[in-house]
Parts: sequence; C-alpha cells; structure tokens
Amino acid sequence: MQRRHFLNATGAGLATSLLAACGGGSDPSLGSDAPQPVINHSRVTPTSTAVKSRVIVIGGGMGGATVAKYLRLWGDAISVTLVERMPTYTSNIMSSMVLSGQRSMSSLSFSYDTLRSKYGINTVFGDVVAIDPVAVKVTLANGTTLSADRIVMAPGIGFDSVPGLGSSNKMPHAWQAGPQTALLASQLKAMTAGLNHNVVLTIPKTPYRCPPGPYERACLIADWLKVNKPGSKLIVLDANPGIVTEVDNFNRAFTTLYANVIQYHNNAEVIQVNPTDMTLTTDMGETYHGDVVNLIPRQRAGALIATAGLNNATEGRFAGVDVLSYTSTVAGADKIHIIGDASATTQPKAGHIANQEAKVCADAVSRILTGGTPDPAPVTNSACYSTITMSQASWLTAVFQYDAASATMKTVTASSAASASWNGDNFSEMGTWFKALMADSFA
Amino acid sequence: MQRTRILFLALALSTGLASAQAQVGQPGRLLASNCFQCHGTNGNGPGFDTLAGKSASEIYQELKEFQSGKEGNGIMARHAMAYTDAQMQLIANWFASQAQTSR
Repeated sequence: MQRRHFLNATGAGLATSLLAACGGGSDPSLGSDAPQPVINHSRVTPTSTAVKSRVIVIGGGMGGATVAKYLRLWGDAISVTLVERMPTYTSNIMSSMVLSGQRSMSSLSFSYDTLRSKYGINTVFGDVVAIDPVAVKVTLANGTTLSADRIVMAPGIGFDSVPGLGSSNKMPHAWQAGPQTALLASQLKAMTAGLNHNVVLTIPKTPYRCPPGPYERACLIADWLKVNKPGSKLIVLDANPGIVTEVDNFNRAFTTLYANVIQYHNNAEVIQVNPTDMTLTTDMGETYHGDVVNLIPRQRAGALIATAGLNNATEGRFAGVDVLSYTSTVAGADKIHIIGDASATTQPKAGHIANQEAKVCADAVSRILTGGTPDPAPVTNSACYSTITMSQASWLTAVFQYDAASATMKTVTASSAASASWNGDNFSEMGTWFKALMADSFA
Repeated sequence: MQRTRILFLALALSTGLASAQAQVGQPGRLLASNCFQCHGTNGNGPGFDTLAGKSASEIYQELKEFQSGKEGNGIMARHAMAYTDAQMQLIANWFASQAQTSR
C-alpha cells in the first residue's frame, strides 16, 4: 500500500520509464541499468491524479539538487524531474585541496541516489539541446521531449575561449571540478622544484564563480610549493584592479606568509596564451612563463542560458531574474526560473548561496503552483571558509535581505564580514560546514 | 509515541507529502532554511548544533546574544546581526515546532 502510494505520488508510468533511463537506480523494482531507451513525450507525462504539477530542473549542481529536493519537501505533490549530464556531481567546494594532495577526487563525489530514493525525484541523465521557454519544453540530445508547468535552470558557468589556447589541456582551469582538477594536480606534482620554476594562476574579471576561490587556491598552492617544491614561485595574474574580496586576509597572506613565493600582479588580464611554450601575454603587453599554468578564463552562464535566449544581463553573460522567485526577466519566459551562478543578481556566485537561492525559488514555485504569490521578503546568506594554509582557514560571510525599492537582494552591512585572521579552528569548522552543506543539498 | 511520530514523518516524506498543501508557504520556514546549510535540513544535522525541537525562547535568546556581540565576533554573530527581531522570532518558533529526529 505504501509502495503503491509512493509510485502514485511520483507518477507510476513516469517513474518506471525515467528511472530505467537513468540507470543505477537504487531500487531494483523501479529501475535497471538497461541501455537508455528513447522516451517519447507521452510517456513522461504523469497520468496519476496524485501529481498536481510538474517541474523540470536542469542541472544537478548545488542549486539544482537543492531546488529539486525542496520542491519535493515543500511543494504540493509536485513531480520533479532533474536533468543532468553527469551521473554524479563533483564538488567545486574543497576541490583546491585536491591540488595540495589533501583530498581525493572521490571525496568530492556526490550521487543522486538519495534525491531519488528519499525524495522521489526523477533523474534523467543526458544533454539538453533545446529549451522552449514559452511552451515550457525541454529537448534532450536523444530526441526526448519533456514538458512541465515550470522549468528551473541551474546550468552553472561556461568559459570564454582564450586566444591561442585552442583545445590544449596544458593550461587547465580546474574551475569546474572534475578531470581538469586531477590534471592540474598531476601537473603540479610532476613539476621540477627550484629557482626559475613557476606556477602561474590567472584570475578573471568579475563576476566569476566563487569570489575568494582563486585567492584561496593561490594561498594553498603557495603553501604546498613551500613544502614540496622549495624555491618555486607562484605568479598570480589578476584581471581585476585588486583582490576582489576578503582583501585584508589575502593581502596579508600574500605579503607575509608567501612574500617569497607569490608575485601578485593586478590589472593583468590574459589576452593571449601559447600552450606550446607555456607563455601568457597580458593586456599590459607583458609575457609570463609557467611550468604549470592554471588558466581560469572569464565566465558566463552555462551555454543553455544563451541557447534559450535568457542571457539578458551582465552584457549578455548571465540571466536576469526577479529575485523573489528567480523567474527570468525575459518577456514571455515567466515560467522559467534561473538560480545559482548562471543568474545575474547582487549575490555572489557560489555553492552555499546557490543552495539558498534554490530554497527561495522552491518556496516561490510551490506557492505559485498552488495559486499563491512568492514570499515578499526573502533572505539569503553566503558563507564560506578559505584555506589560507594547508591547515588553517579564514571565513567570509554576508546575509542579503530583499529590498523592495531596488527589487534586489541587499547586503546587510553589519553581516558582511570576514574573520580577523586565520586559524586551525576555522579549518576544522570548514569540514563541518562542507559536510552539512552537501547533506542539505544532496541528502 | 516518539517512535510513532518519527514513523509518521518518514511515511509522510516517502509518500511525497500527501498533506503538503498545508505546508506550502509555512511561516518562518523559508527564513529558517538559511540555517539549514550549516545545521542540517530542518535543523536536524549533520552539521553544527541541532536546532530542531529546541525551545523557541532558547533559540531566540541565543540569537540575541550573538547579535549583541556578547558571543564574540564570529560567523554566527555576523549572521545574527542580519535579522530583525520579528524574523528571529519566526526562525525560533519554526525550529521549536520541528521534531528532533535521530540521524
């Protein structure tokens, strides 16, 4: 009886076909590892009366996983289908510690099993090739069409191409955790120690994913070089006028702890690279050589945002949204919501706040689908820890309250701060924070 | 009794929240969800202190102490400084209404 009820609630016909398609479902009665069938549109439309509305979530990162979970927790019998390219999520948060050899790639891997088994979320693994914002339809590369009452997009970021780089993997960004993270770690490990051996790390113009992230990575690599590759230098080429956040801590770390390791250059935007001789040229006309180059290009919303015509903000890089519901501000796309790094808001692009944007969106969608209106006064928060050394961390936080006059999320000044310094206690708390945040998003 | 309640909650969850209509837009819940990233979904961990099932007055008093700076200048103090008194009361009341589940 309970089983029957569960199947009804998730759309029985739907669950069987979709879960079979995703493979690796934890319940053998619901799915199998059979080859992915082509699912036609009619079969993914729930027929059960228990399902009151349907939402498709595109992208299973921090924002997408969280919004799927909370739509199921808070919504009124919403059938949720999460469409994601990869069978598991690799966390960007903590991924710089793979470079310092302190974490494994597997420790950053999170599956969608709990979202399926505990919350009844349907997962479809595949590439989305088209979105119709007006008809609220999604087309996958295998020809499947999905339709719903609402679509929530959480496609994360994409990168600008860097002149000269081509398809070379010699200058990884490692800014979407995955194979590039492991590649950069192996390049660092293989590097020859000593004078005149350099690592170059480049920081793109804002807005980019995780504002303190590149500086945190610089600190971590510098500390690792001191121990493992003594005499080597880290050249930081920052396209911005200066350190963009947590200035006191990073500036102090760069000029004290790492005075003999880090050479920091501001206003140094990389405009050309040569992966054969491992050089980078900046807009100031200077050329730098690196034995290892961590090239983090300028960023934009994940490609699907432009594909769907939703990139109407930040000079066409990101998606404009109404932060009460994360609805697109593109005319006619009022059933499409965009959360996380792909959206253009006053909030930082980072996993912790993507999780909270997801909850605001899930609450708003749940209300809208039952005839209501979004909460008129949402609050979101950002918090993170930065590794200043391999065993000490700082923290950075801010809370945002909705400001009706500007229709934006406004930083509460008193809440916006960084730790006065860094220490081992913060490093330990960072581990607790990561565990809690990932559980709130994926479990 | 407690066990029955946990079972009921588990059932409600696994059945896709049949009674969800009453849950949509619950007062205080969206505000309180700002705490979930570090204190667990519904304040039930894993993470820092469990908040589910604590008394509303205790949670409210702790937030006020953080806000006043008596508890130092840490990350929780900064968070507490962001909320109005009415928001803190909503948050405290919502966590107090949650069952503490064993995890």
